[in-house]
Parts: sequence; C-alpha cells; structure tokens
Amino acid sequence: MATSDTTGAIGIDHVRPGWRTAARFAVLALVAVCVLLPVYTTLLAALKPGGKVLDRPFVPEHLTLSVLRDAWTEGRLGRYLWNSTVVAVVVTAAQLVTSVLAAYAFAFLRFPLKTFWFAVFLATLLVPLETTLVVNRRIVDSLGWLNSYQGLAVPFLATAFGTFLMRQVFMQIPKELREAAVMDGLGHLGFLREVALPLVRPTLGALALFSFLASWNQYLWPNLITTEEDMNTVQTGLRLLNASVPDIERFNVPIAGTVIAALPIALVLIVFQRQLVRGLTAGAVKG
Amino acid sequence: MTVALTPVSSRRRGSGRARESLLALAMLAPSIVILVTFVLYPLGRAVFLGRQRCDAQARNCRTNGWGQYLDIAKSDEFQHALWVTVKFALLTVPVGVLLGLGLAVLADKHLRGVRFFRTVFSSTVATSVAVASLMWLFLLQPSRGVLANIDWLNSLFPVMKRPGLLNDPGTALTSVAVSSIWANLGFTFIVVTAGLQSIPRELHESAYVDGASPWRRFTDVTVPMLSPTLVFVAVVLTSRAFQAYGEIDLLTNGGPTPQDSTTTLTYLVYGSSSVARSDAGLQSGVAVLLFVVLLALSALQLRGLGRRVHYGNE
Amino acid sequence: MSRRHTARRGRTTTLAAAVLVASFAAACSSGGGSLQNAGNTTIAPATTAAPGDTLAPGVTDTTAAPGTTAAPSTTAATPLDSLPPCPTDALATADGPVEITFWHGMTAELEKQLTALTDQYNASQSAVKVTLQNQGGYEQVIDKYLQSGQGSRPELVQAPEYAVQSFRDTDSFIPVEACAESAGFDRSVLLPSAVNAYSTGGVQWAMPFNVSNPVLFYNKKIFAAAGLDPEAPPRTLDEMLAASKQIVESGAAKYGLVLDTSFDGGGGWYVEQWFAKAGEFYANNDNGRSAPATEVLFDNQTGVDLMAYLQQGVADGWFFNVGDNVSGQDAFLKLADAEEPGAMTIGTSAALGTVLAAIAAGIAPNVAADDVSVSPMPGPNGVATVLVGGASLWITADKGDAQAAAAWDYVAYLISAQSQATWASATGYVPIRPDAADLEPLATTYASDPRFAVAYTSLVETPDVPTAIGPLLGPQREVRVLTARALATVLNGGDPQQALTEAATQADALLADYAARQAG
Repeated sequence: MATSDTTGAIGIDHVRPGWRTAARFAVLALVAVCVLLPVYTTLLAALKPGGKVLDRPFVPEHLTLSVLRDAWTEGRLGRYLWNSTVVAVVVTAAQLVTSVLAAYAFAFLRFPLKTFWFAVFLATLLVPLETTLVVNRRIVDSLGWLNSYQGLAVPFLATAFGTFLMRQVFMQIPKELREAAVMDGLGHLGFLREVALPLVRPTLGALALFSFLASWNQYLWPNLITTEEDMNTVQTGLRLLNASVPDIERFNVPIAGTVIAALPIALVLIVFQRQLVRGLTAGAVKG
Repeated sequence: MTVALTPVSSRRRGSGRARESLLALAMLAPSIVILVTFVLYPLGRAVFLGRQRCDAQARNCRTNGWGQYLDIAKSDEFQHALWVTVKFALLTVPVGVLLGLGLAVLADKHLRGVRFFRTVFSSTVATSVAVASLMWLFLLQPSRGVLANIDWLNSLFPVMKRPGLLNDPGTALTSVAVSSIWANLGFTFIVVTAGLQSIPRELHESAYVDGASPWRRFTDVTVPMLSPTLVFVAVVLTSRAFQAYGEIDLLTNGGPTPQDSTTTLTYLVYGSSSVARSDAGLQSGVAVLLFVVLLALSALQLRGLGRRVHYGNE
Repeated sequence: MSRRHTARRGRTTTLAAAVLVASFAAACSSGGGSLQNAGNTTIAPATTAAPGDTLAPGVTDTTAAPGTTAAPSTTAATPLDSLPPCPTDALATADGPVEITFWHGMTAELEKQLTALTDQYNASQSAVKVTLQNQGGYEQVIDKYLQSGQGSRPELVQAPEYAVQSFRDTDSFIPVEACAESAGFDRSVLLPSAVNAYSTGGVQWAMPFNVSNPVLFYNKKIFAAAGLDPEAPPRTLDEMLAASKQIVESGAAKYGLVLDTSFDGGGGWYVEQWFAKAGEFYANNDNGRSAPATEVLFDNQTGVDLMAYLQQGVADGWFFNVGDNVSGQDAFLKLADAEEPGAMTIGTSAALGTVLAAIAAGIAPNVAADDVSVSPMPGPNGVATVLVGGASLWITADKGDAQAAAAWDYVAYLISAQSQATWASATGYVPIRPDAADLEPLATTYASDPRFAVAYTSLVETPDVPTAIGPLLGPQREVRVLTARALATVLNGGDPQQALTEAATQADALLADYAARQAG
C-alpha cells in the first residue's frame, strides 16, 4: 500500500527460483487468505438477504443492495459519519495548531518556568485516556456538553504528543535559518509561517493523519457522553446498530454497517498513502 | 528521551525578553488550558476519588484513605483483571510482532504479486475497533457466525459451535486476541516494512558476499537493524492491549461467566457488567491503578527505547 | 538516528511485562478479597468483623449479620407527603407544548412499536411533545442515568425490574403514585402484581409499561415425534426432565431443554422466578420489601436442589447449556439448529413476536411457525406463580412542574387500555390491566393465537402471596451476576452447595456494602 520496492528488494535474492520462492509464495498466499477471509465474508454477508447469508457463505449469489440500504437508514450512518467527520476534522486541525504553537515556544523561545511547563506537558503524555475519562465525563456533563460536538472534541484539542513531535523537527532546523530570518526582519510568527512550517510539512502531514485516525477511532469516550441518538459517532453508532437490530432474520444489517463505516476511512488512507507510514511511525515519540 | 532545554535562538537582546516570554505563554496557553483541564485535573481528581467509596451517583462519599488503593490492588477482581490483561498482552504482542516481521520480510522481495500482498496485509489499518470486532463477531457467533457454521471446521473443533469460541471460558480471550491481532496487522506490517526499507542494502550485500545464508542474513543483519522498529511496534501493541476496551465490549462483555475470562483492567473500569461501575470511587481507584501499571510499563519501555526518537526516516 | 545503540533492547518489553507480572504476583500472594469490600474496613457495615482486621477486606464476616436486622431503613413506610409532589394540573397552565425526553432501551421491533405509539400521542394533542432517545438497552439506560448530572437527565426513564431499588435510592424521582393521586387516576384497574413489583416502602415508584415473564417455548413437532403429547407440555421440573429424556432417547431431537446462564436469563432472572414458584423468599425481610434485605436466601435447599437438577440434566445429556451469550438469542437459535436442535427453552414472553417473525422470514427452515408452542414456565411444583419482568417508567424530579405533569400525561397514555392492547398485541408483552385484554387488537390476538396469552394468564393466576412479589435488592443486577456465575460453575461440574454458598456470601457482602454507601 504505502511501500515501494526500491530499497528492500535486493537483487541477490531472486537469483534463486524454485522451491524457496514457491514456499515463500505459498506462505504469503495462505496468510493473505486468512487476512482477507473476514473482509470477504463481511462483504458477501452485507450483499445478501439475511436468510441467505449462511446457506453458502463463500459463494456470491442472491446479491442485493437492500441490506446496505437498511443499514444506512436504520443505522443512521449518514448522520454518524458526518458527526465523526466533524469531530475528527476539528480535532485534527486544532491539534495541528496547538501543537505547532506550543512546539515553537519550546523550541525557539525563552520564557520563565520553561522546565516546569515542559514537565507538565511530559506528564500528560504518560496519562492514559482511560484514567481521566471517569472524571472528564463529569466535567463535560457539568459544562452541559453531553451530546455535543464540543463534548466530543474539546478534551482532545491539544496533545503533548503532537507538541513533542513538532518540537523535535523544529529543533532540527539549522540556527542559521533563524538568524537569517532575523536579519530579514522576520519576527517569530513570520519565521514560523514562512520558514519553519514549510520545512516541517511532512511531519505535519504525518501528525494530521495520526490525529485524524485517533479521533475517528475513538470508541469509549463517545460512548460515555452520548445519550442522544443524533450525536453518536460512527463507532458508537455501530454499537447501537448492533444492539438495535437483533432481529434474527436481519442479523446482517450491522455487518453491512461495518462495511459502510470502513469505506470512508479506507478512501482517506488510499488518498493519504504517503502520510500513512509517517503517521503510524510518528507514535514512536510517544513510546 | 533527552530533553534539550536550551533554546535554540536565545541570542536576543534583553529588551525583547518580556515580549518573548509573553509570546511564548500565548503560544502555550491553548495547549495548557486543554491539558490541565482535561488531563491533569481529572487525573488529580481521580486519584482523590480513588480513596473514596460513593453511591452510584457519586454522592454520599466516604473517604477511606490511601489504604483503599491497597485494598483494590489486592482484591480478587483487580488481580483477575490484571492477569487477564497481561495474558491478553502476551497473546497479542509477541504474535503481532512476529507476524508483522515475518510477513514484511517475506513480502520484501521482488516476487510476482508482492504489491498485492502488501495491500492485503496493510488493509486492516482501515478498520476501527468497532468495525473489526463486529466483523469477527459475525465470524465466530455460534449460531450465525460464518466460521462456526462450516461443518468440517466445527466437527474438527466442536467448541466453535458448542458453546462457541467467544462463549467458552477456555477460548474467549484467545478469540478476542485473534481479532485484535488481525486488526493490528495493518499497522504492524506497514511500520515493519518501512523499517526494512530503511536498512542500507550495502549491509545485506556485504553479508551476501561473505557467504552468509539467507537465514544468517536475517538474524545477523535484518533483526538487529530492525530492532528499534520492533521495539516500537511492541510498545504500541502493548499499550493497545492494556487499553483494550471496544473489542471486549462488543465481543464478550467481559464474559463468559463465571470466570469473567475477558474482563481486562479497562473493562473493569468501564464495562457494563463490571462491579466497579456502580461506584465512582472504585471506578476511579481502578482507573488510577491502571495508570500506575502503564506508568511502570512505560518506564521500562522508555529504557528499552533509550534516547532514540524515531519518526519516519529522518 | 542511533538505531544501533538500541539493537540489544528488543527484549526489554517482554522483560517489562515479566517484571510487572512478578511484582503483582508477589503482591497478590497475600490473598485477595472482593473489590466491593475495598476500603470497607473503616466502615464495617452490618458486619461483625473484628475492628483491627484492617487490610483484609475479603474476610469480613457477613454471615453474622442477623437476618432481620433492619439496616438504615430507606424503604420503611414513606408517606407520600414527604416525597416529591406531582402537580399534574401544571400542564394546563403551561404555555406552549411542554417538551420532554424519554430514555428507553427498546430495540428492533419493540422500538418501532414504541415509536408508533409515541408518534400517535404527539399527533393526538398539542400540550406535550415527547422525544424518544434510544440508549441501546437497559444497561445503558441505567448507567447513563446514574452517571448524568441532574441537568442532563431526561424527564422520563425506562428501567428494568432489577433497577427498582437502586433507582428509588437515587432520590431523584417522583413516585408515580403521587401523579396518579394528583390526577385522580384509579390504580385499581392495574394488575396488582404489576403494581406491587414496582412498589417499595408502600409507595408505587414506577409505572409498569412493558411487562413480561419467562415462558416455556417448545417445538410441538419434536414432542410428537418423541411420543409426547404436544398439547400437554411439562408443568414441573420433574416433568421437564422426563420429557427431555424421552425426546433425546427417542431420537426426536439431540436435546430436550436448552438453557443459558446469563444474568437476565437462566442464571439470574429465572432463579428468582423458581424461588417464587417454590413459594420461598429469595432474600430476607420479605424479599427486601418490608425492609432492605440484608441477606440472600438462595443458598438453601431449594436453591441447591435446583442447581443440582440443572447440573444433572446437562451432565446426562438431556439439557443443553448455551452458556452466557452476548446476544441473548443463542438458546432460541439452538431450537432451530439444523443438526443438533433442542426441543424446549425458557425465554421471555416478549420474544415471542420476534421468534415468530424470524421463522416466517425463513431463518430456520426446519421449524415452522406453527411448530412453536408456548406454555407456562415449569417450576418445582407446577404452581402458576410468575414474577413481573420487563420494565417500568420513572418520572424524574426537579425538572419543573409542567415537565412532571407532561411526563405523567404521556405515561397515562402509554398505560391506557387501548395503548396496552395495541402494544401487547404487537410485541408479546403482557398488558398491565385486564381491561386491555378485551380490546382490539389484543382480544383477537389472544383468541386467534393463544400462545400470546400464556404469559398474561400466568400473571393473572399468580397467587397473592408475599413470595410472589419478586426480590428488591439495591445491587440486584450484581447479585444476579453472582447466581449466574454459580450456575455456570455448577454446569461445569462445580458443587451446587459450595457454589451457592459462595455466591450468597458475596451477595450478602454486596448488600452490606450497598447499605453502607446509601447510609453515607
């Protein structure tokens, strides 16, 4: 997907055809079948009427779009995909801004209590979400933010992880560039906008994808603060759909829901392939 | 990781100092407000609440003191959940890393269709925990699951049908782990493949010239050069295992009873069938202990990572 | 960057895990205790644990609590005057439609029917506008209600029977009895058993809406093939075992009874039902109805016999245990299994509509809708007694007079004879008032398909004795989980007495813990 064959493939290995290659191919094919099996059966199940799914689960027959349509309307997935998109986009944009600003301050500016603030950021990096959500639910409740985009997004508008990631690349910018910028009369904000940001664009892209995926995949938090059906995200919406359509004869409606839920993110990943590797390995800073 | 506190650009005249400080605070303020309000304060509050027992609405709280943490840590439920969590990590992390490594190495060659395989192995990165769990639920449910209803398969493994892999105390956790490994494969594969590709090919070539067998080249070149990547993958998978919630919630609800075979620490805090659920004090107490456990893990892992900070291929 | 330096460190993660395991294993060796008892050593509620017995919360001597000692008596007769009032006339003076929100846990077909009823209500008048919010199940309703601050709560909540005491103890509801009184609603039209189930301390707190009870579902075709009379299903546990045996031995089906061990099924709810059928209390203080229960009684001979009975049936191959399943449908699906079907199962009467619809949709080609029959749930002695299950409606306090009045108006609509007739006919729930059974479409349903009337008849025939009003425990859900766990242990070969004693000890600790936290 996101990889190229340039460095990994070494000419020395394909001088040996024969059983070695065949075995390699066989193993790859076997694992590929295992990996694809859930995807394949899910797709087929989503395309068959409920009563037919188990007849011949691996044979594409009796295909219909009606189950997908049911999942879309009954699961209100349009609404939930929209909610997820709003929240993920807002969180991603905000995390980029807050991270860049804070990272710039840590990397380029001198200010009192710098060590202290740095320690504060570092400390938040170690706190797992699961520990704070108990109290966060009450905070968001007392703010009147249950069932709202604020409630879903605001607690995640800043990230120490992103700050450290950006600070790390800012610190690799040669001092000479900053000095030259000062000569040119650029202030900090000008330097940030015109010199620093263009230099770190790849990392920004990686952070953006990382933030987007993290926000999109949130499960526990939206579950905790949503009591109105309209405000589910696609993840909690799937949970609700799974609980709401237990009719035995239409048990594949939630399955169809997973297909609908997975499609947009698959598209995003295909479009942003180049950021994907960096986005995933970006987490290395977090440790 | 080393923390360089010396500012890169500090050669400014004193007159600008105050302004620079103000600018810095302005730039930090948005992050500080969010992080203090939604991370540090809740953490402190949870630590405080963990000393209390309350009713379900967090009223009528009694403070029992720090000893309550010890009681919680010693309680059967907590220890059981900790053990389940550790088991879950032991099931998912080594297999996840090895699978990612093996597939990345196998698919890292000029081979017919290698691109196809790479796409397949990367594909699960597009599934969220809810999507992946529901897909597996649909495979494994004893009555309606596709796998559970393949005749030859369940005559070979009767447990698939009776009582079902997710309903049998002996297989439930492993089944959840399999779905988790599957869902994580995309991430692992992509990261390890990227790591492989950043190994300088000269190393392989010189080993080849020295007459090293493919296996020796794998153990002597690939694995050592890849170990930072593998550690990173292991760290991420471990923290995912310790924070597993969605897959448990959707696949098993922490069950099956009576063993609560899949009640992990996070599920003990938030799960709908958890005993801690009806008491904000207990809930916070367990959540804080989860933090302590993860902290201990991170401390060890940070040592493992050393001062390496790795992002992309810079 | 310096990758080489870290080449050796690959093992560290594994090591870290190992260290953690080791350190906790060391801490563990001192022996555990229950999470519910954490910190309780300083409270020592209703226990006679030695005062110095600090860091061993698990060993508190809960059995020493004398059976009838009334704990802080929150349920002792509370006169209606001291409870939040329900000025139902406030609706008349409100300007504009009063908007209220109703949190419910109805899913699938049930949700559709509830939505239809509600739409009709909203369209029929202009004083009240009800918004439904589906929380995805009772558990979620309870959790979200308890965790929400007063401002985030809805005006009306649906909660299952096991939440009665804990909901009452939130002090956040208006007893529906106050509303009924204020509105001049005559509660004598309702089935007393339904009203009693939702009353505590002499006050009716919630209004039953969707009442159900467990019934026996069985396959008449298999009964006939086994040489049993399809019209004479087993009435007692012994008959059920004999029938199962005959079914299996005749080869008519692979199994007789199919059972489950979930807390809201075979492991919990049915256990309460079986105690009521045996004419025994499940917990002391009249099932917690005369004063808060301080002790459970299910570890007595009746309980042990019941567990041993189920264990025997499974061990001998007459019964089949589907275990604890998330979907709650596996027992039904086992009846439709193509290769190894069962002939009977116990399930909620509310499932009847869904089961028939599923068969009609062709999900079970080997079972026809007419093959399925329903009869009262067999008990130790064939007595009709059933406990009210399902859920009830709770009106939230402190939302404003007009809101409370509006909520009551909607509740009154939902329990009107016509609404109940429509609702029961569409769902399989039991109407909470006899006059609904005479109205259409329910009258026709009952006449044309007697299967739908079975649960209703059982409820009407339930004798008016204290044991026929179900247990009322603060941590009732958790106690059900304990009995479910005990049943699962027993079905896996555990000793019935030992499993029940253990469950009872833990349940008593839960009760003590709950009382201590309420006393706050």
